[in-house]
Amino acid sequence: MDFYVNALGAVLTIGPLVAMIGATLLGVFIGALPGLNPVMAIALLLPLTYSMDPLVALGMVAGIYNGSMYGGAIPAILLRIPGTPASIATTFDGFPMADKGAASKALKIACWSSAVGGIASAIALMTVGPLLARVTLFFGPAEYFWIAMFGMASVGVMVGSDPVKGVMAAVLGLLIGTIGIDNLSGQARFTFDQTWLLGGLDLIVVLVGLYALPPVLQLAEKCDLKGLSAAQLKLSDVPFEPGERRGLFPTWLRSSGIGIGVGILPGAGGNIAAFLSYNAARNASADPDSFGKGNPQGVAAAECGNNADNAASMIPALALGIPGNVVAALVLSALTIHGLQPGPQLFHQNPMLVGGFMMEMLITSILIFAMGGAVATRAFAQFQRLPGVLLVPSILILMCVGVFVINGRPIDLWVMLAAGIAGYFLEKVNVPLAPIILGMILGPMAEQSVRRALLISRGDATELLTRPISAGLAVMTVLVIVWPIAKTLRRRKARREN
Amino acid sequence: MEKRQDIVLGLIFVGLGLAAAWMARSYTGASGIYPMTLGLILTLLGGTVAAKAVRSGSDEMRQLVAAPSKMITATVIATVYVAAVVPLGFYTASFLLMLVLPIALGFRQWVYATVVAAIFITVVYLVFSVLLEKPLPREAILLLLAPGG
Repeated sequence: MDFYVNALGAVLTIGPLVAMIGATLLGVFIGALPGLNPVMAIALLLPLTYSMDPLVALGMVAGIYNGSMYGGAIPAILLRIPGTPASIATTFDGFPMADKGAASKALKIACWSSAVGGIASAIALMTVGPLLARVTLFFGPAEYFWIAMFGMASVGVMVGSDPVKGVMAAVLGLLIGTIGIDNLSGQARFTFDQTWLLGGLDLIVVLVGLYALPPVLQLAEKCDLKGLSAAQLKLSDVPFEPGERRGLFPTWLRSSGIGIGVGILPGAGGNIAAFLSYNAARNASADPDSFGKGNPQGVAAAECGNNADNAASMIPALALGIPGNVVAALVLSALTIHGLQPGPQLFHQNPMLVGGFMMEMLITSILIFAMGGAVATRAFAQFQRLPGVLLVPSILILMCVGVFVINGRPIDLWVMLAAGIAGYFLEKVNVPLAPIILGMILGPMAEQSVRRALLISRGDATELLTRPISAGLAVMTVLVIVWPIAKTLRRRKARREN
Repeated sequence: MEKRQDIVLGLIFVGLGLAAAWMARSYTGASGIYPMTLGLILTLLGGTVAAKAVRSGSDEMRQLVAAPSKMITATVIATVYVAAVVPLGFYTASFLLMLVLPIALGFRQWVYATVVAAIFITVVYLVFSVLLEKPLPREAILLLLAPGG
């Protein structure tokens, strides 16, 4: 309990508070603009957090994450354009509600549902995270190595449609992570006699390029020359009717559980949580045919589900160093920026920071109630009057300024551009980008751990497999890779028999 | 699956993996074994992707670029912008980008674009140069206007 009381004291100071409030508003704004997403926004934000207090930086990440997951519902309801991929399911009933003249009510339900899902998820993070971290007290270098391998294997296999491409992306990330001077031997690797490569490729520079540039190029391709008219964005505040909130409670409970479960699984994201929650709500309904035609329960399920994924995805990220989704991978990068090694040791070395971040996830979810409602929704909906084509250079400028201020090196701009163009094409050929970043984050930990483990065992590689926990983790890693292959072979065999 | 794309993708990764493994040969001791192993695994995975594509019976169309002219325009202008940031200065290059890119993509409301550009660049200046005091590439125009410039 002291853990959270101390963390709350640190979070409720002026810096983190201002960061959370500002970032939650900014998050709603980003989510409301189709083409912008939380991943891009956090990637753009990270370079700016170098000189900030870690709790302020993480407060901003938490605010943008929670705010944007709700913000995505605004265009989903008003225009049937999901602001973020996680709000696709919101369009199913949100837009029909708006079509019937109940846009304000749909937005209110989305706001409440997002907040409820976010709060439930943060509570799950605060209870399960420390328990999981306690297990990691028994970890040595061999276990850390397998944790890194398990994380990359699971994200590589589960993200994207082709497990081989996912694992290939993870290995590419590991290889990029070896660029620069080897910490243990002092050997320069893959530097091509370039001094700027001695420190390796900057994680944030690559990350901004990979995640922020592809959506910008896609936005340019869409070439939206006209924003929305003022008439399309006229909204008013509509109160809940008596008993209406009570009616939504079972949906919130069910969707929160689903979102938390999905969040803990590495590789699954808010969109899966939203779809599963939506289906569960329809299956549980006495009138399933009304779904897709403007049923408020559909909006509540989708929005509660996608926000309940948020903090839960941080459980494996903070306790084990395995991000549940891309944003969790970005949070790990934010921790790396501040000199903290993501992974099991984080809870023991920086309890105040981890506890503070958990609190920030909770507080920013509560802030959605306070700020994400009528005022912010109405204000940010107005930004959809801006033509998408003007957003393209704006985001490019933010990317460049963000990357330049990290090291003050023009070469980083070229690295970002190259990474972005590569990311654009890799996404198009179904190579997921998250494992590349994860490989860059976990690669150094994996390499140093395996070499330390071998030094301790005097070169005996069996040591990596003979300790009970490391053996268990090794088996899990193999299973994670073999399972989808076995499933594909079984499916192919069944198809042949049919 | 688009066969040709996956074959090319697989071969690119095979090339990358082999190049990494070959370069890692010259690194001493354990610092070479790790990247060499990764290079060989990457080669194997790239080969698997290419082989899978060759063996696959289906060949669905997969669009690599949705609007090639727009994508190329945006990429070329972004490249020119990155090249111009240091010689022209950050704010000058950014202001020009805010005007040129939308126009190149078909936006014809000059006044609207100029107003948005002015507001946006002012906000960026206030945040990065005034509030955060981050050093950015100096403006060439200010150097020219300076006495003796």
